[in-house]
Amino acid sequence: MGLEVDQASLSVDYKLLHFMDQLEDLEKKREKLNTLIEEGWFSISKARYSMGNKQVSTLQYASEMVPLVRVHTKMLDSGEAEFETQREELQVGGGHKGSTVEDIGPQEEGTPSSEGLRRRGHKKQSELKQEESSRHQKEVSQRTTTDHNEHQDPLKWFGILVPQNLKQAQSAFKQVIELSAEIAALQSAVLASRIELQGLMKEKQKSTTTGETEE
Amino acid sequence: MAGRGKLIAVIGDEDTCTGFLLGGIGELNKNRKPNFLVVEKDTSITEIEETFKSFLSRNDIGIILINQFVAEMIRHAIDAHMQSIPAVLEIPSKEHPYDASKDSILRRAKGMFSAEDFR
Repeated sequence: MGLEVDQASLSVDYKLLHFMDQLEDLEKKREKLNTLIEEGWFSISKARYSMGNKQVSTLQYASEMVPLVRVHTKMLDSGEAEFETQREELQVGGGHKGSTVEDIGPQEEGTPSSEGLRRRGHKKQSELKQEESSRHQKEVSQRTTTDHNEHQDPLKWFGILVPQNLKQAQSAFKQVIELSAEIAALQSAVLASRIELQGLMKEKQKSTTTGETEE
Repeated sequence: MAGRGKLIAVIGDEDTCTGFLLGGIGELNKNRKPNFLVVEKDTSITEIEETFKSFLSRNDIGIILINQFVAEMIRHAIDAHMQSIPAVLEIPSKEHPYDASKDSILRRAKGMFSAEDFR
C-alpha cells in the first residue's frame, strides 16, 4: 500500500512541477504581449500626433473588411486546444489597386485617338455598337477581378502615404496576434493540467485514507 | 492545413481595436456583422454582454480578445464560459494595466489549491 502512495505522490509532484512551468511560461508570454501592445499604442499615438487627431480613429475603418489572419483550432485528446495562426499574403503594392491603374492607363490613352479616327472614317452604327459593347465587357471583367481580389492592407484605410509610426504599430500588433494564439493554447493547457492534477490529488487522498483504515 | 481557419474577435477601446484591425483581424460578414466592438464611454454593459455572448455563439470565432477593464464589467459572463474554444484572452488597455489577479483563467488555475478541490 505504501508503494502505491509513493507512486501517487511522485506523479502528483511531477504534474505539479509541469503545471508550475506552464504558469511561468504563461507569465513570460503575457509580459511580452503587454510590452508589444504598449509599443503598438505608443506608435498609434505618435501617428495620430503627426497625422491629426481624427485621422486615426474608427471613422477611417473600411466599409468592407476581409480578415488577413485566421486561426486554426484543434482539440487534442488531453482536453487541450491548439491554436495556430495563418496569415494571408498581400500582393506587393497593396492588392488590386496598382494593377488596375496600370491596365486602364494605356487603354484610356488609346481610346480617344481611335474614337477620333472612327468619326473621321464614318464607321457604321453596328460597328460602333459592337466596339462599345466589347469595351463595356472589358470594364465588367475588370470590376469582377477587383471583387475577387478584395484583400486590402488595413494601412491604406488611413491614407496612401502613412507615417512610419503607423507601420510600426501594425507590425507590433501583428506580433501580438501571433502571441495571443500561443497564449490561448497555453491557457487551455494550464486548465487541462489543473483538471489532471485535481484528479491525481483525489486519487492520492483516496489511497492514503484507505491505507490508514487498513492499518 | 485543411479548411478555413477561425476569426479573432476583439472587444476593447478605440486604440486596441484600431491596432488589432491594422494587424488584419477585422471582418464584416455577409450580414454586415463585425467581429469587433469599440467600447466607448457611452457603450452600455448590456451591449457589451450581448456582443460577447454573440461572439461565443458564433462558430467562426476561435479567440476573443477583451480589454481587462471591459471584462470586469461582464465578469459573470466570462466566468460562466468554460469551453476551450473560443478562448477568451484578457488584455491590458491604455488606462488600465493588466492585473493577473483579476484574470478568469489564472483565478481558476489558482483555485486548485483551495480546500474545495479535495472534496
